[in-house]
Amino acid sequence: MIFNIFKKELIDTLRDKRTLMAMVIIPLLVFPLIMTVFTSISKSYTKDLAEKTLKVGVIEGVENNELLMFMDTLQMSGKVELFYYADTNELKTQIKEDKLHFGMYFPADFNSKLKGNSTGEVKIFHNSTKLGYKEQLKLILELKTKSIEENRLAALKVTPENIEPIKLDFQDVASDKEKIGKIAGGILPYFFIIFCFIGCMYPSIDLFTGEKERGTIETILTVPVTRVQLLIGKMGVVVCSGLLAATLSLLGLFITLQFGTVIEDPKLMEVITGILSAKFILTLYLLLIPLTIFFAGIMIPIAVYAKSFKEAQSIITPLNMIVILPAMVGFFPGIELNLTTSFIPVVNIVLSTKEIIAGTTNYGYLGIVFISSVLLAAIAIFISHKQYSKETNVVI
Amino acid sequence: MIEVKNVSKTFKLNKKQKKELDTTEDFSHAVKDVSFTCQPGRVFSLLGPNGAGKTTTLRMISTIFKPTQGSISVCGLDTVKEELEIRKKIGFLTGSTGLYQRLTANEILNYFGKLYKLSDSEIESRKKELYALLDMDSFQNKRIGKLSTGMKQKVSIARTMIHDPEVVIFDEPTSGLDVITSENIIKLIKSCKEQGKTVIFSSHIMSEVDLLCDDMAIIDQGEILFSGSMDQFRSEMKESTLTGEFIRIVNEKRAS
Repeated sequence: MIFNIFKKELIDTLRDKRTLMAMVIIPLLVFPLIMTVFTSISKSYTKDLAEKTLKVGVIEGVENNELLMFMDTLQMSGKVELFYYADTNELKTQIKEDKLHFGMYFPADFNSKLKGNSTGEVKIFHNSTKLGYKEQLKLILELKTKSIEENRLAALKVTPENIEPIKLDFQDVASDKEKIGKIAGGILPYFFIIFCFIGCMYPSIDLFTGEKERGTIETILTVPVTRVQLLIGKMGVVVCSGLLAATLSLLGLFITLQFGTVIEDPKLMEVITGILSAKFILTLYLLLIPLTIFFAGIMIPIAVYAKSFKEAQSIITPLNMIVILPAMVGFFPGIELNLTTSFIPVVNIVLSTKEIIAGTTNYGYLGIVFISSVLLAAIAIFISHKQYSKETNVVI
Repeated sequence: MIEVKNVSKTFKLNKKQKKELDTTEDFSHAVKDVSFTCQPGRVFSLLGPNGAGKTTTLRMISTIFKPTQGSISVCGLDTVKEELEIRKKIGFLTGSTGLYQRLTANEILNYFGKLYKLSDSEIESRKKELYALLDMDSFQNKRIGKLSTGMKQKVSIARTMIHDPEVVIFDEPTSGLDVITSENIIKLIKSCKEQGKTVIFSSHIMSEVDLLCDDMAIIDQGEILFSGSMDQFRSEMKESTLTGEFIRIVNEKRAS
């Protein structure tokens, strides 16, 4: 009987455009869209910057300046274009107005200090909100400073080794998998959990509040099935929708990685494919199923209580924030799965997934996470049942 | 057969409901000490103004609500102790068709047939019978959302009758329907009576009651003001019209 209810509710849900959008289309497209847009923008930005001519303003009257002469030669290659100004105020205005990228001011003793084996100081005006330009200029000027440095060392008959008494050679023992797990591991469960939640949201409102709004509740309550059977059948669809949304987001991610040009490094790709193993996916679902039941169990009592779709939505939507915040814990370094965090719902799933991705799983904690999630899910089912059995809540 | 014995129903009001009803009382007494009997092969009407307690009474008979006091038996079964058994024997129809918009007529009837634990062949033969009776063949595979009100009403009737119930409960079945569509319901009620089923329906329209029912109870503010046969009502009436008499009875009680 529960299967019949489940089947009917599933068909009903899959024919609802609003649910379908939140459950299938958005999760499936979110990763490909975000990643493609993000990488193509960042790639084109870096490319643009490398090809861009840096417009540098210089105060007039600086002669025999080695650094300036070097930059002058670079004008030929199109990397730099020099403009001459009489005072710094004008220089600053031009930078502010975006007509120049940099302004260079050489103090009067610059040349003498440079020639006298001392440090020649140069003031560089720039706009820090224009990202990337500073690094680009540094890169160019470093060519010259390095060569002056080498010349000075050679004149003193000093080798680079002479001035570097100790070389610190750090050897990383963490595998690539671990590194990715700790850095990016927070993102995957975050999206997974958010989609689980969103996937549950519309079906729970549609299947519970919707019955009231459309006036079908009375007829369904006069058929010879118990409310527990109805609840479980409907809850099954809500949980499946949440899991489907999460699965499709994973599928979207997989497709983007496999067929997109997001990751060009084959070694990194290999590591990522290694992470998305059958064992990882199975463990992830083992943790996600009770969490999704818990989500459904939070939403259903609200959906049962609400009189209209709008009312239900206005209560459940803010709940989204309560889930998003703990789901973000994976982004912060230093928060690890331990005896305390393994009891905190949502947080424990995020941290466990992070550990699983990094391959540093502590099975004891994982057990606690699973058992506490199952317990929470059971409590949520119990509360849903209580609420669904209340006469005043079921019928308007 | 439906026997309602000294039934009362009170609802505990929460803060929101108290505000909505503009009351400081903790409980709302929807039905107070109501008793009546509906016989098989006869049509019983529960007549009363809006908010009289008609729907609450019908919901108690159809096991959606449990009575706070008293007892109700349907076909000899107790609505509290044997609710699932009773549900197999009743068909419940309201003015709002109560259909799933995204399913087709066929899917709805299959679903309800299964909920009533009918076998596939039973469902098929019942569907065939009902489609012919209600002239539904042309739209059985269309989604409910795309049907006209009249068509929806027919699907709703077929859904109510899919398991051939012994007792049929109608809660203001014609409210919001035009005369042509209401005719489907009136025909259904008459045919249920001919088949010897127990029929109870609620209404606030005297003319509809006069047209269909054999027995009647007038209910207002949760209390029964009259209970008896339609003939008895006619013989005892002090006003010239049935509607006039209904209004007189309600007003007289309210004044006292």
